[in-house]
Amino acid sequence: MFNLSEIQHDALVEIFNIGVGHAAAAMSGIVNEEVTMSVPSIQFVNRLDAASMLVNNESRRICGISQHYQGAFTTEAILMFPEDKSLEIVRLMVGETVPLKELTDMEQEAMSEIGNIILNSCVGTLANIFGQELQGSLPVYHIGTSEDILSASGGQSEAVVLMLHIDFILEKHQIHGYVAFILDVTALHDLQYQVDQYLSRIMGST
Amino acid sequence: MADSVLQAINIGTVVLDSTQQVMLWNHWMVKHSGKQASEVLGRNIFTIFPELKNSRIESAVNQALRNNFPSLLSQTLNKAPFPLFSHGVDLGDGQRLQQAVAVIPIETDMPPRQCLIQITDVSIAVARERLLREQALVLRSQTFSDGLTGIANRRHFDVNIEKELRRAKRTNSTLSLLMIDIDYFKAYNDHYGHQRGDDCLIQVAANLSSVLHRPADLAARYGGEEFAVILPDNRPDTACIVAETLRQKIESLGLEHAQSKNPGKVVTVSIGVATRTPEHHLETTQLIGAADRALYEAKRLGRNQVVFQNDPPPST
Repeated sequence: MFNLSEIQHDALVEIFNIGVGHAAAAMSGIVNEEVTMSVPSIQFVNRLDAASMLVNNESRRICGISQHYQGAFTTEAILMFPEDKSLEIVRLMVGETVPLKELTDMEQEAMSEIGNIILNSCVGTLANIFGQELQGSLPVYHIGTSEDILSASGGQSEAVVLMLHIDFILEKHQIHGYVAFILDVTALHDLQYQVDQYLSRIMGST
Repeated sequence: MADSVLQAINIGTVVLDSTQQVMLWNHWMVKHSGKQASEVLGRNIFTIFPELKNSRIESAVNQALRNNFPSLLSQTLNKAPFPLFSHGVDLGDGQRLQQAVAVIPIETDMPPRQCLIQITDVSIAVARERLLREQALVLRSQTFSDGLTGIANRRHFDVNIEKELRRAKRTNSTLSLLMIDIDYFKAYNDHYGHQRGDDCLIQVAANLSSVLHRPADLAARYGGEEFAVILPDNRPDTACIVAETLRQKIESLGLEHAQSKNPGKVVTVSIGVATRTPEHHLETTQLIGAADRALYEAKRLGRNQVVFQNDPPPST
């Protein structure tokens, strides 16, 4: 599987942590409570492995929010949580307990907004640091198996998935989720090139 | 043509230029904001609506203009950000339209970038979901409450007694159970009819609950004319005092009962009391059995009284 050098890897982890930090601040502002988010690790996997990471041998349904980005590199970014965790997040954010086992339409929209904030923050931070511009689409809400969601964007099956592990903490609840960036070979090289450019800029300046 | 469509479309449509000045304000916005296009065109959106300064709307507008990213603001997480009303003015109740907002960057032939704010009225969906939520809550409470009397039902009792006994065991505390039966209830039903019988059950249930004040105390309809009261952390003597208060309360209601063999000719109850103590542990069935035997004893002794009974059944 495709791999980054250690320094490239560390640079990306740092950038994504800045990104989710912005997202957490935006969400704290919405709920008036402290929301913290971090990206403990990232890894490159193929689509099948990415799908299996999410389910850990249960046939749980996954809730996904996807947005398409293009520009300096092209990717489908998807925020994913197991369905029960998405219920937990929305109801923690909204502060209401709803005795229903599925997200209502309005809750799905709230979940889409949460995805929109997190994905825009992650990609926005990347774009700013790379000094590049990307365009984004509006978020789309999906529910289904992790394979359904990872392939909903179309794309080739040989695509590489950059998986971010995300920890989301609100009111003593810690919820674990993922952000997947689906990258084709070109996008992968574009991303690697941008990371290198960034690294040479910061190395050069010291 | 395109402009006429934007004006006619049944969604709030606002276009801002790169300096956040309003360039388009469609009829929907005029109708619901009460502001004419001539009042707002060329003005900064945050001067028109100062309350939106430093809000999610402002960061979404900046996100679109600076970073080229669209944002979605859901009704659930953003309570009606724009002062929009169904008739364009606040009718005094402050009821704003429920809004779902999308802020989308627009690339034009001539940079810099502009942004589109699209506002949808979701009041109907919000009302429908509120109804759904309320009904789900009612349904859930129904599965745990008795349809006739409104107090806890048998299922609630079964769950609760298990839970409280487990807790008593863990914390080494006491737990008392009262079994309560309406005296000569069959005769009451036969004499007054089932509707009066139901009224009697409702009154007795309501008065039983009204005597209990601690949140963990539970009055339940055990079945037919039988009720049960769970009293955690009560010494046996305290439980008997509560039982006696309940008995007096029902008698003092003075509900006429011509068929009662008690001299007062009013509705009365017999109560059996059993207590689990740290020294005297009882399992659920033993506790219920002991309270049941006490109730039987109260009936045997002439009804309208409280009997305490804690001993296991005589071995055969």
